Amino acid sequence: MTPYLTIALTSLVAYLVAVRRLGMRPSDLPRAVAGVAGSLGTGVIFTLVNLAAAGALVLGLRALTGRFFTLYSLDDVVWLVVSLLQGWLWRLWRDAPRPRAPVS
Amino acid sequence: MIVRPLGVAALALFFFGAFTPLPTLLYARLAVPTRIGPADAIVVLAGGGVLGDGQLSDTSRRRTALGIELYRDGRAPLLVLSGALGAGAESAARAVLARTCGVADAAMLAVAAGHTTHEEVATLAALLRARGVRRVLLVTDGSHMRRAARLFEAARFEVLPAPVRGLDDPPQPGERILLFHETLREGLALLYYEVAGYF
Repeated sequence: MTPYLTIALTSLVAYLVAVRRLGMRPSDLPRAVAGVAGSLGTGVIFTLVNLAAAGALVLGLRALTGRFFTLYSLDDVVWLVVSLLQGWLWRLWRDAPRPRAPVS
Repeated sequence: MIVRPLGVAALALFFFGAFTPLPTLLYARLAVPTRIGPADAIVVLAGGGVLGDGQLSDTSRRRTALGIELYRDGRAPLLVLSGALGAGAESAARAVLARTCGVADAAMLAVAAGHTTHEEVATLAALLRARGVRRVLLVTDGSHMRRAARLFEAARFEVLPAPVRGLDDPPQPGERILLFHETLREGLALLYYEVAGYF
């Protein structure tokens, strides 16, 4: 459990530095947590969509070509991480401030 | 909006998977108890194929070693060494290992049996039936055993499960996540086989 105690300790230090040195407000922390949950949730949606699309592609290729394509190719941790990053990027892009439309 | 609750659910699942016995409990529901006894044949299912240098993968080697051990214990007169199609010569490499360990060629059947567990069992079932085999000692990984055993039972064989021991109660969070992942993957595969009507 030592690595996890280290994470708890560095989280506490980061919190103290943020509040005492950088002037960050503790009241903003729940919003940041909600942001993380939102990014992760978007990543999960991208993962599920990618999984369904890739599974359909593999099965479709099998049916169309008569050749074997393995579903185990979807069992890849890098593929999962890229899907989560895809979701994260989408979320940041969606939440980015947009310029106001010109008033006519 | 569903996105945030989904994120919270994913985080909760991750923490439960890493820091609680949840993966072990789920795996215990998936796993099939070991039942070693006399059989007509020991069937070692394909797993992982061979590496670039022609050596058996770790999974394949562990399964083969258990099959050889059961054969040398006199559990069955026939050792069937299956291998995946198109994954190098897994069955041949397994036969070399078995021969090195003293298994006679006459007591061994090395077969490149298919791409999937379904294809593999269909191929092996026909070969085993032709030899009058009815009772098999089935060797595969613990998580894979339920699906494989159900396929053999659907083909009217009596199955004695001899799972290769793995991480069934891991102590480290990372290993628990791996077990969680393996259990979920195999659960999905079982669901797929059920929907496809393979059982």
